[in-house]
Amino acid sequence: MESSTDAAKHTRRSFLDLVLGIGATGWLASVLYPVIRYLTPLPSAGPSGPVKLSADQVKTLDKERFVIVPVQGKRILVFQDPAQNVRALDARCTHEGCTVQFVPGESVIWCACHNGRFDLDGRVLSGPPPRPLSQYLARQDAEGGVTVTPQTA
Amino acid sequence: MSATAPRSGLFGWLDERYGISPLIEFLRHKEVPIGAHPMVWYYLGGMTLFFFVVQIITGVLLLMYYQPGEATSYESIRYIATKVPFGWLIRAIHCWSAHLMIMSLVVHMFSTMLLKAYRPPRELTWLTGFGLFGIALGFGFSGYLLPWNELSYFATAVGTDSVKSVPVIGHWLLLVMRGGEDVSINTLYRFFAGHVVILPLICAGLISVHLLVIQRQGMAPPIHGETARGMPFFPNFALRDLLLWLVCLTTLAMLAVLLPYGPGLPGMEWELGSKANPLAPAYPGIKPEWYFLWIYQLLKEFPAHLLGMEGPEVCLLVVSLLMGVWAVIPWLDRTAQRGRHSPGFTDLGFAVIYFLTFLTLKAADLGVAETPTNDAETAVVATFCAYITLGVAVVATLTRVLVYHHRWFVLSAAALAHIALHGLLGWSYLTVGAVVAVVTAVVLVASGQLRTGAEAGVES
Ligand code: HEM
Ligand code: FES
Repeated sequence: MESSTDAAKHTRRSFLDLVLGIGATGWLASVLYPVIRYLTPLPSAGPSGPVKLSADQVKTLDKERFVIVPVQGKRILVFQDPAQNVRALDARCTHEGCTVQFVPGESVIWCACHNGRFDLDGRVLSGPPPRPLSQYLARQDAEGGVTVTPQTA
Repeated sequence: MSATAPRSGLFGWLDERYGISPLIEFLRHKEVPIGAHPMVWYYLGGMTLFFFVVQIITGVLLLMYYQPGEATSYESIRYIATKVPFGWLIRAIHCWSAHLMIMSLVVHMFSTMLLKAYRPPRELTWLTGFGLFGIALGFGFSGYLLPWNELSYFATAVGTDSVKSVPVIGHWLLLVMRGGEDVSINTLYRFFAGHVVILPLICAGLISVHLLVIQRQGMAPPIHGETARGMPFFPNFALRDLLLWLVCLTTLAMLAVLLPYGPGLPGMEWELGSKANPLAPAYPGIKPEWYFLWIYQLLKEFPAHLLGMEGPEVCLLVVSLLMGVWAVIPWLDRTAQRGRHSPGFTDLGFAVIYFLTFLTLKAADLGVAETPTNDAETAVVATFCAYITLGVAVVATLTRVLVYHHRWFVLSAAALAHIALHGLLGWSYLTVGAVVAVVTAVVLVASGQLRTGAEAGVES
């Protein structure tokens, strides 16, 4: 192609580079996308409505004054406050994610990992946790059965 | 032997086909510099490699019985440790060798740092070595969860939680690491794949590059090239290496037999304990393995909120920054680049050692009988650990002055002032850290030494 100038050669060259670049990027994306989707876990399945505690869980609740139950892939702390009301809070500490517990003697929610303390509404009393624990709806029926609703109260 | 002379036997057979005698010739001519530094520093890399090989062998043996799963992980390890003939030994060696490997790796890294072996043209050796350090930490972290016991469950819950602080993709990363919102058996499956396949592959690749560049360039000579002497790598140095490996193997076997569940130091025991129960509350005294204790302690020093961010986020930012600076040291140390001594960076190495020592000791709760639950007990721990760190520093500094004639101590002095003010006077770790960092920066600028001390803020 003796007739084509250097400039024309140059533009054709950079055009081909561009096409090649787009092709390579597209190819890479089409390889990576399924891998990324594959690695991303699906949201945990399970009933979305209220969850009824099993007889064993209710027994633990009566004995220890608290029990930790799985609700939709979350750990929920169900406890009996001093007025004998059943209440529920997210059991996952907002600091580094340890599992909190109810300390009946002091009426606080305590995280053993770094000594974080919350009141019974989940508000931070002391320690490093930056945010309060979410509250959940818990109800005790006349026969003593307990239901937890996975919506924040 | 010359490359052309015909040889008989297996060597001749191989040489005729593949021409391997130049390789032997190369190894014969390769030399290890002697005379400038104590030789011991040259053996640590080989020692780390030895422990890694032990990990592969014992790891593959463990795999013959280990079954990942909710109902099998804990049970299969208990089976290995109690029923399988010599299972306890294989497990004990895997655990001991994991800790010894990380120890020799850390000492190896600090010795190459202090000897400035990272200076050009060996930047890639430093970078691949730093990558290997990261991989080793990954091995320890992922292996820790595999027995699926209570301690490992909570340590993993806390450890993985920190990735949520990564900007933008933090939550996604957390999901991918855990295989769900929370640590569950899905997390164990992912960690298992990482521990026995992904990390070993990456590690093998990095080790190859690390060794290849070392073979190409030889060992770093001392700055100023005070020595003209060298020891042939093969067979002289290689035989010494071999002897050391025998010593390591014997030590490993003795430790594994005498203390099959570890020395019982904080972050260094592997008693199986009870099985993980995701629905049990955490208990006091949950600690990661010893090489993570400093980050664990630093996280504790940060308040819930700081500078408009959440404490853990700021802390991880600081840790990432420190790691980043450590990784690019070959490019920061302009003085060593020109083949001159860089006392500022030597001192930085010591400052980092004091910084890590204090945090690690403090995280181990030395000085009190039980995990402290109030501020007074925490202060006792801080004071006790400050005394130990200062004691170590006095010995190190005397050695530096008398034996090595060091004259530059600004950064290590800053690190020690930080520890003393916090531990002995009880001032807040972060506040003192910030004050000391500013004062150090001012001193360095004022004395016009910023070139050697550009990393002033690094320590705090
Ligand atoms: C640098 C290399 C390695 C390090 C630092 C390391 C570290 C660890 C640690 C700390 C544990 C937990 C031990 C316990 O508490 O029981 C572990 C367990 C395990 N590792 Fe490794 N490991 C390494 C390489 C490997 C390799 C290469 C394999 C296999 C190919 C492997 C297979 C296993 C298995 C099956 C377990 C579970 C058994 C047990 O926990 O006793 N490891 N590893
Ligand atoms: S994880 Fe709860 S206080 Fe740190």
